[in-house]
Amino acid sequence: MEATDTSIAESGNLQTTSENDVIVTEGVTKVYAADGIPVNALNGIDLTIQSGEFTALVGPSGSGKTTFLNIISGLDSPTDGKVWLAGKVLSEMSGNELSDFRRDNIGFIFQAYNLIPVLTVEENVEYIMLLAGVPKSERHARVIAMLEAVGLQGVANRVPTQLSGGQQQRVAIARAMVSEPAIILADEPTANLDSKTGADLLEMMRRLNEETGMTFIFSTHDPMVMEGARRMITLRDGRVDTDETR
Amino acid sequence: MILKIAFRNTLRQKRRTILTGLAMIVGFTLLSVTIGLSDGAYGNIIAMFTRNRIGHIQVHREGYLDKPSLYKTIDNVSAVGEAIQNVADVEAWTPRIYGAGLGSVGEKSTAVQIIGVDVARETQATRFDQKVVEGSTLAEIPSHEAVIGKGLAKIVSATVGSEIVIVSQGADGSIANDLYRIVGIVESGDDITDRVACYLHIEDAQELLVLEGRVHEIVVIVSNINRVNKITSAIETQLNDSMLDVAPWQEVAKSFYRAMQTDQQGDAIARLVIMLIVAIGVLNTVLMSVLERTREYGVLKAVGTKPAQICWLVICEVVIIALGSVCVGAVLGVLANYLLSIYGITYPEEITFGGMTLRTLYAEVNVRCLAIPAITVLVSAAIVSLFPAIKAARIMPAKAMRTH
Repeated sequence: MEATDTSIAESGNLQTTSENDVIVTEGVTKVYAADGIPVNALNGIDLTIQSGEFTALVGPSGSGKTTFLNIISGLDSPTDGKVWLAGKVLSEMSGNELSDFRRDNIGFIFQAYNLIPVLTVEENVEYIMLLAGVPKSERHARVIAMLEAVGLQGVANRVPTQLSGGQQQRVAIARAMVSEPAIILADEPTANLDSKTGADLLEMMRRLNEETGMTFIFSTHDPMVMEGARRMITLRDGRVDTDETR
Repeated sequence: MILKIAFRNTLRQKRRTILTGLAMIVGFTLLSVTIGLSDGAYGNIIAMFTRNRIGHIQVHREGYLDKPSLYKTIDNVSAVGEAIQNVADVEAWTPRIYGAGLGSVGEKSTAVQIIGVDVARETQATRFDQKVVEGSTLAEIPSHEAVIGKGLAKIVSATVGSEIVIVSQGADGSIANDLYRIVGIVESGDDITDRVACYLHIEDAQELLVLEGRVHEIVVIVSNINRVNKITSAIETQLNDSMLDVAPWQEVAKSFYRAMQTDQQGDAIARLVIMLIVAIGVLNTVLMSVLERTREYGVLKAVGTKPAQICWLVICEVVIIALGSVCVGAVLGVLANYLLSIYGITYPEEITFGGMTLRTLYAEVNVRCLAIPAITVLVSAAIVSLFPAIKAARIMPAKAMRTH
């Protein structure tokens, strides 16, 4: 393994980052107030992630993995620092622009699946395309194809509570990828799955990464997932501890 | 899809949805009944006031209403009456003359208002004969008969068969006086009028006041009181006489109309209080619901739902419950008003309004008792849901998804 210097700040001019850089962060800091006491979740993170990477964010609990994922996707705002996502500065976007940007460019896979409980599997997967105004016939065809890809053909009309954890995570993957976003962000995607389902999921993500060139960034504690990553960034106390590319 | 989510959300916490709906249904029904009873009561009062007394429309010589005078008369009564009768929706018309005088029965004297009526027309228009509580109504031909108010009879200690001497001033300046036999005593429902009213045959009154062929007022009864303003305009057009004033009852009885409107405003405040209580209850449950679903709103925002769409989702949820409640409330409201329009509510004691005496309060089933509660419930539900909706729309996805 070879440690690489990923600090974009050192380039001196972030506006001229290469077209391959899908995510660039500069001095990203996040301070939470826990019972009135400030807690530094992130302490000036400078990172560049390029298109097509399959990157794992690792580190102990409380190291800032989820916070970092939230900030680079615009789900949360940094206390200080800047984030460029596909060349755009997130802090300069309005609420609507951020919603549109996430809808069109980012797919999320959450640890707790976070499916919409009142919608069926098919409707959950279809939802983002509906927001994007994709025509009905195309939506339907893509939902069918995606459910087949994740092995959920027979459960399209079930609601999330009628599915196992593994099945729900597959629905979340289908929802994240159906609109073919440039980036997939996954927060502990295998945490609630048994080892076989976790391995299948990892295999599927790798396959999609190779076949479609989507950028995958996932936080994990799972050694198997870490093994599968091509780049592994270790966070500790809100800082980048190591950054290894294999 | 937002509508679909909103609809399905209403089915998730059925008990809460039912409770929220019940609050709206109770509010709707109460509002509907309040309006039905209010409209019924006012409708009844207006009907009694107009149909039995002042009519729906009155025609006078220009300026008479503002400053009544013995000399401001309508001279061509038959022609004017015929023209009025030709207007659509005019049911009846009747001429009247008025004069002030002194009435004496035996040794007792008091001020009287001489009211000359065309007996046949007055009976047809204002059911004059039904007001007679003792004796009989006036003969249809002039017979020097008088019918006096109950209060007046008491003041001068008159009974049916007594003779009343009336002294007044004729239109020619002469002293007018004559003797009339009291054939009946009337109770109009207005105590003030009944203390002074002395009804004579119109020709007897014209003779007394030296107003041959002339009248002061033509009272018009229409078939649909709700169209009174249009019919007034139609009569004005038909008469085409700048010397005549045509006025609907609201203008003739300005103070009565204003008092009624003020009273109705009081009802509006009562309605507002009902809706406020309902709205606070609804706000509480909607806030609870938004609080519980904070995580879901966070997820929806995370996957690309715009803040306005989240806002719309919350509002839709409340409006869907409100629409259901309006449907149920409409059935209950109509049913309650229908039953109250038949059986009514009997007052423990008689009440009077504008001289009208009411014993039973009847409701009215009309569009207002459905439309006003429906609009009020829907609009207040939408307004009440606005605050939680904006709160949901402004949620920071990461923070919301940390909520359990």
